[in-house]
Amino acid sequence: MQRISRREFVKRTAVTGAAFTSFPALLAACGESTGANKVSKLVLAAVQGNEDGPLKKVVGNYKSQTGIEVQIVEFPYDSLFSKLVTTFQANDSSYDLCMMDDPWMPKFGTMGALQPLDSSFGFTRDSDIPTVVYDVGTWPPPHGPVPPTEQSKAQHLYGITIVGNVEMFMYRSDKSSAPANWDAVLANAKQFNAANFYGYVIRGKATNPVSSDSLPILWSFGGNIFDDTWKVQLDSADSITAVDFLTRKLKQYAEPGAANFDAAERSQAMATGKAYQSTVWPGEITGIVEDPTVSQVKGKVAYIPIPQGPSGKGLGMMGNWLLGIPKGSHNGSAAADFIKWMLKTENMRNYVAQGGVPIRKSILNDASLAAANPYFKALAASFDAVPNWRPRTDQWGAVETSYGTAMNAAVAGQLTPQAAMQQAASQIRATMKGAGYPS
Amino acid sequence: MSRLVAELPAPTGTKPAGTGRRRRSRQERLAYTILLPALGTVFVIVTIPFVLAIWQSITADDGTLVGFRNYTRALSNPLFYDALRATGLYALIVLPTEILLGLGFALLVHRAVKRAGLRATLYVLAVLPLVVPPVAVGVVARLIYAPGYGVLNYVLQSVGITHSEIQWLSDPLLAMGSVASVDIWQWTPFVYLVLFAGLQTVPKESVEAAQVDGATWWTQFRYIELYYLRPLFLLILFFRMADVLRVFDHVFILTGGGPGTATQLLSLYIYRIEFRFFDGGQAAALAVLVLVAISILYSLVTRALPLERA
Repeated sequence: MQRISRREFVKRTAVTGAAFTSFPALLAACGESTGANKVSKLVLAAVQGNEDGPLKKVVGNYKSQTGIEVQIVEFPYDSLFSKLVTTFQANDSSYDLCMMDDPWMPKFGTMGALQPLDSSFGFTRDSDIPTVVYDVGTWPPPHGPVPPTEQSKAQHLYGITIVGNVEMFMYRSDKSSAPANWDAVLANAKQFNAANFYGYVIRGKATNPVSSDSLPILWSFGGNIFDDTWKVQLDSADSITAVDFLTRKLKQYAEPGAANFDAAERSQAMATGKAYQSTVWPGEITGIVEDPTVSQVKGKVAYIPIPQGPSGKGLGMMGNWLLGIPKGSHNGSAAADFIKWMLKTENMRNYVAQGGVPIRKSILNDASLAAANPYFKALAASFDAVPNWRPRTDQWGAVETSYGTAMNAAVAGQLTPQAAMQQAASQIRATMKGAGYPS
Repeated sequence: MSRLVAELPAPTGTKPAGTGRRRRSRQERLAYTILLPALGTVFVIVTIPFVLAIWQSITADDGTLVGFRNYTRALSNPLFYDALRATGLYALIVLPTEILLGLGFALLVHRAVKRAGLRATLYVLAVLPLVVPPVAVGVVARLIYAPGYGVLNYVLQSVGITHSEIQWLSDPLLAMGSVASVDIWQWTPFVYLVLFAGLQTVPKESVEAAQVDGATWWTQFRYIELYYLRPLFLLILFFRMADVLRVFDHVFILTGGGPGTATQLLSLYIYRIEFRFFDGGQAAALAVLVLVAISILYSLVTRALPLERA
């Protein structure tokens, strides 16, 4: 074996190392140059769970039809949000598409993190899709208060809903008729509450869960987090009455340990026949309550829009999951084609067959699909009633954390409804003032 | 590093006339060259982020200097003190429990288990909790403590110990105990492994001499074994205190910081300030404050438990 000098060894090592380290970069560069002509793969950042399950099942069809692979990279809910924020801050090109919960839209809209779908890729509104579905993906928001820094921006469509989530209400239809309002909900809770059978289920876990669970009640009672000028309303009489209704009156008939109940526990309680009624998201219905392999109550539960409160309105809450195209993506056009493909009626029908939540009115009102999807009628009605969305502010994460922590303390009995809402209002006022909103 | 250099042979060459600085010998230059990659790595992965954190803590989002405003905002937020209190309580529960249990197991195995095969089995069993990802531990713990379907309540009710569900995660004190129990399960084996290894270094002659003199198990432990374990206690405290400040996954999964803020530990609080409030300045200020506090705490512990065997 030929002996080499130390200097020669170092030199050869350096050259070999450089070659190895630059090889992937060369490959990537080659990929980019060919990618300008034809994209072979799109990378989609998705939320792990019921929301992306049906999507994973239909992307194979897209590959067989177009030859383009859609690689789905999954993250848990909170991780996806922080991952997307840091990716957008770096204008990174890792993802060509991203799934976004609709309350994230203000953050991403304010950051200017997404490519406009209307002006860049020719998306127009389809009359078969509810207006509010387009509105929720539009930034700045077409109605309601607009953040001070965003008022001069031109409106564009940045996200298209692929999971038409609206919070609804479920009850055991084998035991009673539908409650007309929240008073009837309370009466039914009292009537049907029994040992090992909860009259009502509160999804009371801290922050996002209890916030989602309580906002429809807050709105239906005339309360709110903000008014139209961003003034905090949580310590108003109507808001406190709503919180009192949930955390004291309904809680009397709710499950023990409500302060730690999340969606999984609620669905489990309903599916095992231990509960009479609660609010519900479509994913819980298809994933658990109506799944014959795990549910003991299939066919015994009915779904209706959120019942009316003293305000005369029953306001469901949007929780749409949208698809958007990050500004950093080099494959925007191909990504837009995938979104258009998802929206086609025949593809959405297939998506529904895989457990997807549709947004087309024609599908939601299709009688042939109603038996397999007993919540479609209620979802269509919820869209018609125009559900509320969570306040369109990039401070929503902070607002939800303050509100959800105080609500959790109220559900746990640590704070009175009034003290909880005063605490939340005080924290949210400080947050909003610091962010330049009128306090 | 200075010790390493000092142990190297003294320079052999004579100092060149007219130069004020001593030229480094070849060995010294070699020592510094060998150290350079390690020091460079430490600089990149520790020093740069730390300097950036300090910079972020004294600037606003747009990069303008704001002095100590982020620090005053962090210190004036009542939630910070809730988080501090929760973290202190958590540490007070887990650290003594893990040390006492780990020490007890180590002494028990050291004195009672003599078969090498059984010792190896116990070693493997002790390593298992340490290699399970914290997220997985959190998910399993939720199946144990969850309201409605938690295994623990099912077992307690099945054997007649309780007749109704205990709210492990909804009552503030029980919730803290529950999240602490997960930590204790996962990290007591670490304490056991370290202390068991320490017990192997105790000279047999000393123990046998003490036994001949009639030493009881307690005096044997108090005057011989504890002497050898003292620096290891310091090591354990260092590691575990650092870990307590990083606890996140299982608390997030089990309680989300609730009920209220009862289990919102510092790590979860700082995460929320950074990723829910997007207040990078305040989060950086909190991180620096925690670092300073833990440094002071470490120096106090070091004084109380000297590393060198006196």
